Amino acid sequence: MSEKGEVDLTGAKQNTGVWLVKVPKYLSQQWAKASGRGEVGKLRIGKNQGKAEVEFTLNEDLTMIDSLGDKPSGVQAPRDHPFTMQTVGGQTLAVFTETQSGKEQISLEGLVVQRAECRPAVSENYMKLKRLQIEELSKPVRLSQQLEKAVTTNYKPVANHSYNLEYDRKKKEEGKRARVDKQQVLDMLFSAFEKHQYYNIKDLVDITKQPVSYLKEILRDIGIYNVKGTHKNTWELKPEYRHYQGGEEEEKETDD
Amino acid sequence: MASLGGSSSSSTEYIVRVPKNTSKKYSIMAFNSGDKVNCSSWTQARMERDMSNRRMYGVEETEEGAAGSEFGKKQREEARRKKFGIVTREFKVEDQPWILKVNGKAGKRFKGTKKGGITENASYYIFTQCPDGAFEAFPVNGWYNFVPQAKHRTLTAEEAEEEWGRRNKVVNHFSIMLQRRLREQERGPDDDDEEGEKGGKKKKKKGGRGGDLRIHDLEDDLELSSDESDSSGGEDGDSKPKKKEGDVKGKVKKKKKKKRGSDSEANEDSDDGDFEGLEVDYMSDESSSEEEVGEEKAKSNKEAVPKGIDEASESEEESEEEKQNEEEGKEEEEEEEGKKTPVQTKKKRDSSGESDTSEDSDIDGEAASALFMKKRTPPKRGGGRGSGGSSRTGSRPGTPSIDSASTSNTLRAAASKLEQGKRQVVGGSSESPAAKRLKMESSSTAVTTQSPAPSGKSTPQPPSGKSTPSSSDVQLTEEAVRRYLIRKPMTTKDLLKKFQTKRTGLSSEQTVNVLAQILKRLNPERKNVNDKMHFYLTE
Repeated sequence: MSEKGEVDLTGAKQNTGVWLVKVPKYLSQQWAKASGRGEVGKLRIGKNQGKAEVEFTLNEDLTMIDSLGDKPSGVQAPRDHPFTMQTVGGQTLAVFTETQSGKEQISLEGLVVQRAECRPAVSENYMKLKRLQIEELSKPVRLSQQLEKAVTTNYKPVANHSYNLEYDRKKKEEGKRARVDKQQVLDMLFSAFEKHQYYNIKDLVDITKQPVSYLKEILRDIGIYNVKGTHKNTWELKPEYRHYQGGEEEEKETDD
Repeated sequence: MASLGGSSSSSTEYIVRVPKNTSKKYSIMAFNSGDKVNCSSWTQARMERDMSNRRMYGVEETEEGAAGSEFGKKQREEARRKKFGIVTREFKVEDQPWILKVNGKAGKRFKGTKKGGITENASYYIFTQCPDGAFEAFPVNGWYNFVPQAKHRTLTAEEAEEEWGRRNKVVNHFSIMLQRRLREQERGPDDDDEEGEKGGKKKKKKGGRGGDLRIHDLEDDLELSSDESDSSGGEDGDSKPKKKEGDVKGKVKKKKKKKRGSDSEANEDSDDGDFEGLEVDYMSDESSSEEEVGEEKAKSNKEAVPKGIDEASESEEESEEEKQNEEEGKEEEEEEEGKKTPVQTKKKRDSSGESDTSEDSDIDGEAASALFMKKRTPPKRGGGRGSGGSSRTGSRPGTPSIDSASTSNTLRAAASKLEQGKRQVVGGSSESPAAKRLKMESSSTAVTTQSPAPSGKSTPQPPSGKSTPSSSDVQLTEEAVRRYLIRKPMTTKDLLKKFQTKRTGLSSEQTVNVLAQILKRLNPERKNVNDKMHFYLTE
């Protein structure tokens, strides 16, 4: 996805202020379950003897915690969450958004004026929730399990593997490679060398389906064998036959 | 929005919504507060992903297509990588850094790197207040730390390490970046002059020699000593660059001259102790005042011409290594002013490396070789003669060229005389005094005698008029043999050694024959010394 680049700066210009709030994982999970318009709770901001107090109360219907496994957890998420307010401090935080759909657009939504942490009010519910979480996390990922009987289904002796049978059949069907006309072989070689410059003898045998010795003879005629260098043990066409960068077949054709 | 009243507290309630179907992805753009970034001051901004880490699968490999490719190379490479367990990380666009450009081309640039792990244990939400008073919470998708990108040049890690090692020696830190820039320019244009000129104007600073100093101990010591003299109470890097503006030129040159003067006695490479002592003598002159720079300059100006010749004579005694040392430094000086320095700098050039060699340096080289009995290859001597001087002077303003020309002629004269001297004293005894004598002569006369040589050709003709067809140092002539035999008795073997086949261009048989003929003609007297037959002549 390539973003177009131009940033919409309306948010920055208006100096829109937003809050950055750190929310516990379980709470965000509960919020994801919200329905309808997405109302999740209420935020109460009060001034108590000069200090600002902020508290979030989770909606009743969102307090059911789902747990992994079959049995219902019976644990309820705590409802009260006071916010701890923090300063923005040593960082200037801005918020930007990218739209994903079709037209990519980056826009600056605003600046963070307040940081806060959402903490659960300590309660019985919360303790139960925590215990549940710990239990789930402490389960090992891998488990050793003892088996009653040894496993005997994996490797059984076989007269001949199916794979081998296939292979033999294929070989028989193909038969030995027959020599075709030299000219034809040359055609095949030239078209192959048009695609790539260096070839392994095995690959050429594969392409041309010729016996190795016959192919080698032909290759000795028109090509050279690279012993050293980066393209080790590869065949390439002789320079006079080469015409890379838009080579035409006619140029490489040779009459025998 | 319900309001609850309390005794001493008042609070308002807001509804919090978490919109479900938002198509926007929220991310945090974090700036360091020290950078003093004010988003509202931005007029326009562009932001793109930094794709420089993308390794195209094909690009790193050899190119596809016919030429240079192998059949099945891709698969083979992949198989190979799997075998060795090399796992290449997949290129995820969302994880790539951002490049933010503010206020167009001339504005600031920022690079935003994604901070990992922010969504692992807790989620961040952005709470915005809606017009209806409710809060909307959006989850934060990514956190990017934006740092400003330096537009000014910075040192790479290797360079930084080097400079760190020299931190006690380099006074002018401004020059460090200058050096680097010039080095980069070197790799670009091939024209020495161009680069030299560009560098010269800027590299007035003593520190400018920093790059050069790196190579040679001698320069380092120079630098060190000048640091000592200039600083009052240790190094003071901050104040130095400011002071150095105009001072350095005069000071350094003076220093160098004095150094050379001292070196003429020491005559060889740096002994740290020696330099320290020497420096102290001159410190009083230098460190007395910065304001006297102008005076110093004037002094050095005046002294330039006569000093130049002295320098010439002194420098010729110095080793080649020293010459190389000061070579680059001189190059800059020269370009700077082209007044006093040309003499010294030109001499310093080592003709072997540079195409743009001056006559003088070649001649100096010759002088040195005469002094130290090094046999130079003949073309070296001749090459550059007549060509170097003109090209050098061409790059400088008119008036200085006259000076340089005159001094160069002087040097040429000196060199030619030296060559003559060399021929005469080739017996191997004290050449140095002879050479010195000649040098003193030439320097005192300061005559602008044209050396007969500057034909600019590579076959050097001996200036004394001993014209011989062969292009060698020693010609097998009757004169030469006579000279040898007059000086001291020699055996035939000795004589043969003198006229080595390489130098005379004759085969050994020919040499023997010619020598025999000459001896017959000369009919020298014989003497038996150590049971060997010596020839000698008395005139």
